[in-house]
Amino acid sequence: MALLRKDPKSEPTEKWEAQLRKGCLELAILACLWDQRLYGLEILRGLEQNSNLVLAEGTVYPILARLKEDGLLQSEWVEADAGHPRKYYWLTAPGRQKVVSMAQFWNSFAANLNSLLKPVLNGKGRS
Amino acid sequence: MIAMTSNPMIESYFAALVTQLSDLPQTKRDDVVRELRAHVFDRLEQVTVPTDDDCRTVLKAMGTPEEIARQYRLELLLNRSAWRISPWRMLRTLFRWTLTGIQGYIVFVLALMGYTLGASFYITALLKPFFPHNVGVFISEQGLNIARFPDPPPGAELLGIYYVPVAVFVGFLFTLGTTLAIRFVVRHFGKLKQKVGGMAAAA
Repeated sequence: MALLRKDPKSEPTEKWEAQLRKGCLELAILACLWDQRLYGLEILRGLEQNSNLVLAEGTVYPILARLKEDGLLQSEWVEADAGHPRKYYWLTAPGRQKVVSMAQFWNSFAANLNSLLKPVLNGKGRS
Repeated sequence: MIAMTSNPMIESYFAALVTQLSDLPQTKRDDVVRELRAHVFDRLEQVTVPTDDDCRTVLKAMGTPEEIARQYRLELLLNRSAWRISPWRMLRTLFRWTLTGIQGYIVFVLALMGYTLGASFYITALLKPFFPHNVGVFISEQGLNIARFPDPPPGAELLGIYYVPVAVFVGFLFTLGTTLAIRFVVRHFGKLKQKVGGMAAAA
């Protein structure tokens, strides 16, 4: 099967990208809920607009369930005009603390990495 | 229950999901299915008259029931604290794995052995007060003996009535150890499966 691939070198990169996406998904979901209560599909739309983090839509729900289990989120079924209820999620106090600390970590992490990547992206230095 | 479009494709999707999630508690499973149904319903609402193709697209974007169930299993079952996972539930989950291949079968048999060992220590702890001469830690030339009926094992008994707390503790260690080992293996296999799935998708 591997022989059919056009560029065999692309596989590790894809895997790395998938892992990176997966690792960031939790932070992105928590960030979506920072100042609003949302149901699953709204969270997905937020993620679609601002990132390309989600591969299969259904996989967001198990993560939401676990974040709730961990006490970072709370949820409630709300009757909607649509004719069927929707499950809304919002951040708990520990969830807010968690997303703040994650965001701070991300910020300094990204800044450090960006400064490392600068020469790479500018294409300067070694020829 | 949601008044859902009675598309057979959607119904069979959720029937498969219910089967796949059979190791979740009933209330949790109902909640999951209700939430995912609401999602599908919302997605389909964007089109006035959903066709089979629309349903197919929406379900495809969702991911397969197997994939979603696997994610739930990884996120919920494995992240729960060890003492909240009953051996019974663990074995039920593992038993489903035995159907997927030899690795699952081996893990199931090892888990069954671990839990049986744990349970037998609990049983000897219960028996000790009634059969103090038959149950205990007996050391002789033949080695170590825990229990023998109807004749007592050879050698001298070391612990006396302290055998009860010791056996309970050892039984607990075996049960906990087995649970932790299963969680480790399941997590490992989960990653392996994901890798295989990813490779199949990329190829």
